[in-house]
Amino acid sequence: MHRQTFLFTALALAAGTLLSGTAWADRLDDIKKAGVLRVAAFDGNPPFGYIDATSKKQVGHDIDLAAAFAQSLGVKLELVPTNPANRIPLLASGKADVVFASFTITDERAKAVDFSTPYFLVGQQFLAKKGLLKDVAQIKDLRIGTEKGTTMESNLRQNYPDAKVVLYDDSPFALAALRNGNVQAITNDGVKLTAQWNQLPDKDKYEIPAISVSREYLGAAVPKGEAALLQALNGWLAKAESSGEALKIYNAWFGPDSRAPLPRLLKIGDQRVASN
Amino acid sequence: MFDLLREQLLAPRYLGWLFDGWLVTVWASLWVIAAATVLGVLLAAARTGPVPALQRAGAAYVGLVRNTPLLVQLFFWYFGAPALLPEAAREWLFSGPVLLQWPFTLRWPSFEVLCAIVGLTLYATAYVGEDVRSGMRGVPASQRLAAQAMGFTPGQALRHVVLPQALRIALAPLFGQYMNIVKNTSLAMAVGLVELSYASRQVEAETFKTFQSFGIATLLYIATIAVLELAASRAARRWPPAGAH
Repeated sequence: MHRQTFLFTALALAAGTLLSGTAWADRLDDIKKAGVLRVAAFDGNPPFGYIDATSKKQVGHDIDLAAAFAQSLGVKLELVPTNPANRIPLLASGKADVVFASFTITDERAKAVDFSTPYFLVGQQFLAKKGLLKDVAQIKDLRIGTEKGTTMESNLRQNYPDAKVVLYDDSPFALAALRNGNVQAITNDGVKLTAQWNQLPDKDKYEIPAISVSREYLGAAVPKGEAALLQALNGWLAKAESSGEALKIYNAWFGPDSRAPLPRLLKIGDQRVASN
Repeated sequence: MFDLLREQLLAPRYLGWLFDGWLVTVWASLWVIAAATVLGVLLAAARTGPVPALQRAGAAYVGLVRNTPLLVQLFFWYFGAPALLPEAAREWLFSGPVLLQWPFTLRWPSFEVLCAIVGLTLYATAYVGEDVRSGMRGVPASQRLAAQAMGFTPGQALRHVVLPQALRIALAPLFGQYMNIVKNTSLAMAVGLVELSYASRQVEAETFKTFQSFGIATLLYIATIAVLELAASRAARRWPPAGAH
């Protein structure tokens, strides 16, 4: 029995050393030594990260942030294209140093990676005729359309049981119902609504008010336990907010003159995520 | 073992959703059956009556309705037709205003319900009307002529002599149409009627128990149609066609 315990402990120690081998060396030092920051970013999720049709390069809001962070470290940026499912594996296998890919912070994911201060807030928002919806208190009096089979409806029903919710087969039908007047507002996540708003021929008649009924915070992520890298990242995010750099990047992709105008719901540093 | 079984069952709350959806299916079907029967008899009367303009209008209506898919018609009534109304009328219609405050609250039905019932009724009327008309053709012409010879006006002959016999002849196909009406209400979920199919999709999306939610919906449809089949066979025994005693 003693021998078994010993063996087990030795094995566990060996495995732990092997698995977390990279954690002993400091990743931030490695990055500075190599002169390259490897960032996993989306290549198919405009405007966060996508391939630009003319330049064939990976561009987007998250990529601008990553580039600015690399610059602050004085190193070159190397982009690693990713899809949602690969974000954690890329970090865990050491193929990327940081993930900047509209990564929603959840408790479950925070067990596998370390999240930065949130830099973006996506909420369940509304698209309505201009001037109609000004306050969350009005939601209960409205007829609101959305898609079947999403969390939007249950969110709304839980928080605003008096609102009349009409469900359609997909989001284009919901949009048609809004334009027709069958419903007074449609609800979805802000980024999706912005894309829909953008397609409207009479978009100046509609708006996405700065109201949000559910919150999803997006953050950058580093491998678990890379405290120095995380600290550098958080320090830079705070500086980028105070210097206005973050706002400038936001406005380039979501500002009033951009192709997908969306009210900015979060100033970096306003919200700390509990699991950090 | 029992835990495993219980895990596979739908929670009572979701069964409640399905039951509520079923009630809407039943109510909508009853309204459509009643309205389509009345309008179908009028349509058959117009098509077999003496006025050429009404005959042609009836034929045109049947052609128009039967040559387009029901789903497209529902979309037309829901998305297309309201665009013809002035803005204020549309807003009034969509808002489901209160018609009567006292002695009980009476609300104008929501546009989704209204649209589904109107659309389904107009569709079913064409089919019911044709079944009634074929029943009328099964009544020998001598019946109508004899009635008129006895001094009945054409309207009286239709009402008291031809229609009672025609409806008996058309009973079986009419119940077939009623079964179609029940099943067609499922298409109205596309315009937001919260009926049984809609509820089954909602339950499926919430629970991911695909087999159970659609399975229960299927059983409820089967039970509803079975009741209609029972009613059909009892009605056939009670009101057999003339001469079939």
